[in-house]
Parts: sequence; structure tokens; C-alpha cells
Amino acid sequence: MKFFALLLLTSSLAAAQMRVMAKPGKSPLVTFRIVFTTGAATDPTDKPGLAYLTAQMLAGSGTKEMTYRQVVDTLFPMAASVSAQVDKEMSTFSGATHVDNLDEYYKLLHDMLLDPGWRPEDFQRVKDDAINAIRVGLRSNDEELGKEVLYQNICQGTPYGQYNGGTISSLESIKLDDVKSFYHSHYSQSNLILGVAGGYPAAFLERMKKDFRALPQGAGFHPRAQAPKLIENTRAIIVEKDTRSVAFSFGFPISLTRRNPDYTAMLLVSTYFGLHRMSSGVLYQEMREKRGLNYGDYSYIEYFPRGMFRMEPDPNLARRFQIFQIWIRPVEPPTAKFALRLALYELDKLIKDGISEEAFERTRDFLGKYVNVLTRTRSADLGYSIDGLFYDRLYYVDMVKSELAKLTREQVNSAIHRYLRTNRMVIVAVSRDGEALRRQLSSDDPSPMTYNSPKPEAILREDKTVEKWPLNLPADSIAVVPAEKVFQ
Amino acid sequence: MKTSVKLAIPALLALAACRLGAAQAPQKIIPYPYVQEDLPNGLRLVTVTTDFPNIVAVYIVVQTGSRNEVEPGHTGFAHLFEHLMFRGTEKFPAAQYNETLARIGAASNAFTTDDYTCYYTVFSKEDLPTVLEMEADRFRNLKYAEPEFKTEALAVLGEYNKNSSSPFSKLDETLRDTAFTTSTYKHTTMGFLKDVQDMPNQYEYSLKFFDRYYRPEYTTILVVGDARSKAVRQLADKYWGDWKRGSYRPEIPSEPPQDAPRTVHVDWPGPTLPIVTIAFKSPAYNDANRECAALDALAYLAFSPASDLYQKLVVEEQKADAIFGGAEDHVDASLFQITARVKKPGDMDYVRDQILAAIRVFQDRPVDVARLQAVKKHLRYSAALRMNASDAIAGSLASYVALKRTPETMDRIYEQYAQLTPDDVMKAAAKYLVESSRTIVTLTAGGAQ
Repeated sequence: MKFFALLLLTSSLAAAQMRVMAKPGKSPLVTFRIVFTTGAATDPTDKPGLAYLTAQMLAGSGTKEMTYRQVVDTLFPMAASVSAQVDKEMSTFSGATHVDNLDEYYKLLHDMLLDPGWRPEDFQRVKDDAINAIRVGLRSNDEELGKEVLYQNICQGTPYGQYNGGTISSLESIKLDDVKSFYHSHYSQSNLILGVAGGYPAAFLERMKKDFRALPQGAGFHPRAQAPKLIENTRAIIVEKDTRSVAFSFGFPISLTRRNPDYTAMLLVSTYFGLHRMSSGVLYQEMREKRGLNYGDYSYIEYFPRGMFRMEPDPNLARRFQIFQIWIRPVEPPTAKFALRLALYELDKLIKDGISEEAFERTRDFLGKYVNVLTRTRSADLGYSIDGLFYDRLYYVDMVKSELAKLTREQVNSAIHRYLRTNRMVIVAVSRDGEALRRQLSSDDPSPMTYNSPKPEAILREDKTVEKWPLNLPADSIAVVPAEKVFQ
Repeated sequence: MKTSVKLAIPALLALAACRLGAAQAPQKIIPYPYVQEDLPNGLRLVTVTTDFPNIVAVYIVVQTGSRNEVEPGHTGFAHLFEHLMFRGTEKFPAAQYNETLARIGAASNAFTTDDYTCYYTVFSKEDLPTVLEMEADRFRNLKYAEPEFKTEALAVLGEYNKNSSSPFSKLDETLRDTAFTTSTYKHTTMGFLKDVQDMPNQYEYSLKFFDRYYRPEYTTILVVGDARSKAVRQLADKYWGDWKRGSYRPEIPSEPPQDAPRTVHVDWPGPTLPIVTIAFKSPAYNDANRECAALDALAYLAFSPASDLYQKLVVEEQKADAIFGGAEDHVDASLFQITARVKKPGDMDYVRDQILAAIRVFQDRPVDVARLQAVKKHLRYSAALRMNASDAIAGSLASYVALKRTPETMDRIYEQYAQLTPDDVMKAAAKYLVESSRTIVTLTAGGAQ
């Protein structure tokens, strides 16, 4: 009897450990998001990029049964694909198929994740791609480069302190056996969230669950938790390269994720101050619309990679630690210092003045509807649902709506005071002639702004304050790093 | 009000006809029936009622892109105008326009291409009247003063700057400038840098541009999602009905035939892998014959990851890390281009020659029927997978509406895909991918070649 009870217990534990997010619907499409809660945070310190290479190897190679060519030939008529996204805590495999092709597509997806081919020639190609993604991809994208240097710098010394894609020297040294061993130790049932949505038949989900039980049970994913700390004094890094303009990103760690009761208050703040690619944000209005400094300026409370290509964030980038970040899109070099001062001035104003009742209500109304827009595709809806499991919270839309309904302006302004600051931050610039920019930023000289057209008196008056705004960046707090040394 | 009711009747008949049509021809590529109607002023309205709940996407297509920039010194104006359209009107000044969109939780933006400018808003269904009213107001009554104009022109320069860190932007600029002598496709949608820098001085010209092109006969409104055509038509009549038709017709120059191959090299100041692009003059979009469809199929057969060339160069020999090719649909004759990013500078000539050899294979013998069949299947499933939300459907339709002003052309071109034969592909390859119309651009890190 005891033995029987023990068996039952083991079995229920096994069932509890693999998590499932199933959203059946009438669509002729079936969407998959298969998430392993493992990622760059578990990379060995001497092998950054290992989680990334492992996921890319699975999604971009042959299976035990098929060569990569055969995989491509099978996927092609279905117009389907399997793509991998790797972040600190999650490795996500996503794809979609028309229900006509469900069996054939699923067989491939299954084999790619559960019976990989591990061919050396595939590994060489995937590894070259990963190296080139840094050497010529990231390094020729000034804005993404600046953001990733910012994250690396703020989180250095913690498990979040390496770029997800690794470094060139690490990638060069990683062997196929390292990848296989990472796969065997980290791709387990206890790390798995199976996500599927759309018009799949009733029995399909059970089949999937049964198949993925072929993975080892695993011991769960528990990397050491170590939050990035605030630094003592603001410092700057200038990434030097031959480029037309100057791109800035700056920020500091905040102890805030979707688990935190202040999340929705700070989501409202960041939406009001600088929602990604939206013209309604304060930063956008002040910097672009009124002063024509650049293409746009935004703020973030969650990691948002690929922002230059995406209007909305990708799901399944759930993290236990986030930073507050401001992104100033490239500015003409003569106005760079003024632009940085203006962004800091606006942040200071936000902290001092808080948000007005009118702006609070407007932003609250906006967010209550905008969450519907964010989750409008099946893939996004499924992704946000999976993130809800990670954070142990309600479905995102329900969570944000219910918290907005209770939120007051006072709570928002109190959250601004608790989470935001204008000191102890890291500033990253991507620019040519790093030494010249260092001299500029370290000097207290005013950086007066001139315009090509008459401006209202209020703007000119404000500019007089902005042009002298203290940056508090002595020369020895500014490092100049050549772009080719970054993530090397 | 009476007029609206009267005009709504043909709309209902059209809806019935479309549904019947859809039932009889299940192979149509657009997954929902649509209602297309013209207002008396020439404005075209297309409503697609989908079964995605709550959300509506409004995509407004103006058939004006960088192609329309016929006057020297004024390249980039269609795109600049996309920016200016957010500068407000007397009734809805920019701040109020933004605040209203914010209050209704809308995602809103715009983009410009060679052939069209598209303004889109995605929102909850109850806000359709607000969106159509505000959009009508700015299309008819846009008002901006010279200082605001000058500021917006700087934001456009900021956009040029943020794009300029990619070698592919430079490659595209150089390719167009070399391949075309006369066509307005010679410049990119951003425009020549010197023109972008001079934009702040062109206030008067901007007013002329608006007066010429922001007119009902250039414009199609797509309403896709949880909305009914009758209600949409009533709103369109109410807010857009008295918009005045214009009279300007640009004379867009045709590109003369190219008679000899061209080559050009770009030194890129930063680190990059070498890139080679081979381009050929391709025909204007046409859904009435199979030439464009055949060239699209050729792109998949010859240069997609499932092609022999890709498998050889990227997967087996691993000399290139990316290859892609094809012709984007354009109103005028444009380019079929193949681009490869090469891992080592020394392999540039080899990769170029392999691409040229692959083209010859398709010119010399008909492609295997089963492979063409796989491409046809790919095209249909790709469309089905892409059109997975109301705004995604609207976005797909917008690109076709920009070409022929009706979603019907999408069904027609997919019908041409379905009819393609190996012989069609061979003939199109032989006719268009010829040496005399070829331009090759290479790009390497400075001094690497």
C-alpha cells in the first residue's frame, strides 16, 4: 500500500512539473510556443552564449532522422518554420502551421526538440551565424548595440551580466559536446511549458504531453538569484565607431517585475513618459515633436530587444530582474549633449512633479484598452499567457485591467518616487570620435540649442535650464571602448 | 442622413454578391468576403468583416510614394508628408489627436514605400466613429505652420541617421542610383541625403504636395475586423463625403531600356561581411498575365532556403551566411534582385558566379513539376499564416490596394500562381534575368577587396 502511494505521488509530481498552456479555438491555424525556463542566466561563466547556441542548434539543424536540407524541404511547402528566442530565463521555440499540415509539422517540431541530429556541419554553420550576429549584425546596429552594452554594464557580475548571444571568443571556443551537455542537463520536463493555441483536435494536446514526457524529469531551474545593484556614481561608456550620429541609452536596475504589486503603476508611468514608438509619450513630445532632435525617445521597465524593428514587445522575455531604461534615438552630433541633458531634465521633472490627474486618467484609460491590442494575435496571446505562468500571476490582460481599476494617482506618484532616480545610473553612447564626446560630456559648459525655426518662449526658457543641466560625469567616469572590442 | 441610407443599399447587395462569390470559389486567397464601394468624390472604401472579436484595423492607403517625387531636389517628400500628417488640424490639434488616440488605446502609425503611403490605426470596435472622424479631418484639413514644418523635417533627418548604420541601407541607395537613370525608383523612399538636409527650406513645396496628392481619387480606406460594411459606409459618407476631388496627374518618367551591364563597388567604413547584390530590370506588377507570378515562383525556386543554390552555398559549403532574392511588386518596372552575404572577401567572385550559374539553369530547362507544386503550396499557406489577425489582413490587402486599388488583384495574382507551368518560369527567367539589364553592387569593409 505504501509502495502504491509512493508511485502515485511520483506520478502526480511528474504531471505537475511539466506545465501546459493550451488555448483551443476555431482558427484554421495552430500556434506553438514551447518554452524551456532556462537561458543565458544559466550559461557557465566561461561559456557565455551556450544557451543561445543550443537553442539555435535545435531550431536550425537536422534531426536524427532528417538532414537540415530535408527539414527545410519539409517545412517549405507548409510555409512554416521553427524559430528560437533566447533570453536570460527562457528559451522559446515558436512556430505556426495551418491545421491541414498539423501532423507533418508537429512531427518535425517534435524531432527537432526531442531527437536532434547534432551534426558537426550544422554546428559549424550555426556557430558562424552566432559569431557574425555579433561581429556584423549587432555592431552595425548602433541602437541595439548601445542597449545591450547598457544591460551588460548594469548587470555585470550577476547571472544577467552577459549578452544573450555570448561573446565572439566564447562562441569560438564552445564545442558541440558543450551544447549537447547543456541540452541534456537543461531541457527537462521540470523546465518545460508547452504552449499551443488554435484549431488543433481534442486528442492532440494529450499526444504532445505524452511525447514531451520523453525528456528527463529534471530538477527544476534554480540559478542563483542575484539582483543587479545600483552603482555609487553615474558613469558613461562611449562605444566608438564610424557612424553619422550619436545614439544614447541609459538606465539603472529597478526591483520590479510583473510579480510586484507596483508593476501596473510603473507600467502606467513608463507608458505616460515614453511608450515605445508612440507619439504620446512625454519624451517623444519634448524631444522630437517640439525640438526635432531625432526620430523618437522612449522609456522601458522591461527588457525590449529588437525595438528598432518591432512596434510591440515580444512575449516570453520574462525576467526576475529588470532595469529602467531610456532610449534616445540617434541625434546629430552637435546636439548630442543637449539631447542627453533634456532627457535627464524630463526624468527629473517627472520625479519632482509626478503625473497630473488628467494625464493619470488618460493613460489609465489608454492602457486598459491597449492591452487588448498587445495580445491581439494568437501567438502573442499564448506568449503572454505563458509569461503569466512564469510570474505566477493572472493572464496579463486581466491582471493589468483589474489593477488599473483600483489604481490611484497617489499610488502612481508614490511609485515614481520609489523606483525612479536621476543619479547612480549607467549611460551608454554609440558615437564616432569617442574622446571628443568624452570631453564634451565631462565639461560643465552649457550646450545651447539652436533651432532652424522660431520656438515658443516657453521652450526657449526651458532650454536655458536644460543647456546647463548637470551631468555629473567627471572625465574618469567615462570610458571609451572601440565597437570591435565590445562582446569580443 | 437620407443620402447615407440610400447609398448603403448597393453596399448590402455587394456584400451578398461577395459572399456568394466566396462560396462558389473557395480557392480565393482572402479569407473573408469584402465589400468595395466608391463614394461619389472618388474615395474608395473596402470593408472586410472578420471573425476576430473586438478589434478593428483602419488602413488608409494613399497611392503616392517616392515614385511620385518627379521634381529634382524634392526626393523624400512622400515620406516627409507621412510625418507631417501627424501635425494636426484646427479641430484636432496634434496634442488633442494624440490624446484621443491614447484615450481609446489605439496603436497607430504610418509608413511610406516607393508606391504608396499608408496610415493605420488598430483599436477597439466602439471607437470606429472617432477614428474615422479624426482621420477624415486630417486628410482634409491638415494645417501646420512653417516652424513646425522645419522641426518635423529634422525628425526625418533623425530617421535617415538611425537607418544609416546598416550597410544594407547604403547598398540599397547605391543599387538604385546605379540601376536607374530616369525612373523615380532611382532614389530610396528616404530620399537623397542632400534633399533630406534641405527639407526644412521647402515649406511652400510641402503645401503643394498635400494639395496635389491628398485627394479622394488617390485614397482607399480599408476597414478590417469587427465592423459591418453598412455602418462603415454611413460613417464614411458622414465624415469623408464632401472631400473634394483634385486634378493633378504627375508625369512619372519611364526608365529607358538598359543596354549594357553595370557594376559598382562600395567601401563600407565599419566592419561588415562582404555583400554582393545582382539586380535585373523586372516588369511592373501585373495580375493579367503570369510573368510577375512566374518571377515570384522563380525567387523561391532559385534563392529561398529550399533552393539548390542556398543549400550549396549556405548549408554545405558555408561560403555565404544569407542568400535571398526576388522582385517586390511595384507600380512601374523595377528590380529583381539577389543578395548574398559572403563569409570571406576572397569568395565574393565565386558566390557571384554561382548565382549567375544558378540563373542559367532556370533559363535553360524547365523546373521539376513537383518543385513548382511545392512553391504553389508555400505561397498559399504563407498567405494563410500571415493573415492571422485583422490588422495583418489589412496590411496584406493594403499592399495590393496600393497597386491596383482593389483587393481583387490579390485573388487574381494567386490565381496566376495556381496556373503557373514550368515553361512560364523558364520563359520569365530567360526574358528578364539578362546580362544587358544587370547591375551588380558589391560592398566590403573598407579596403577588404
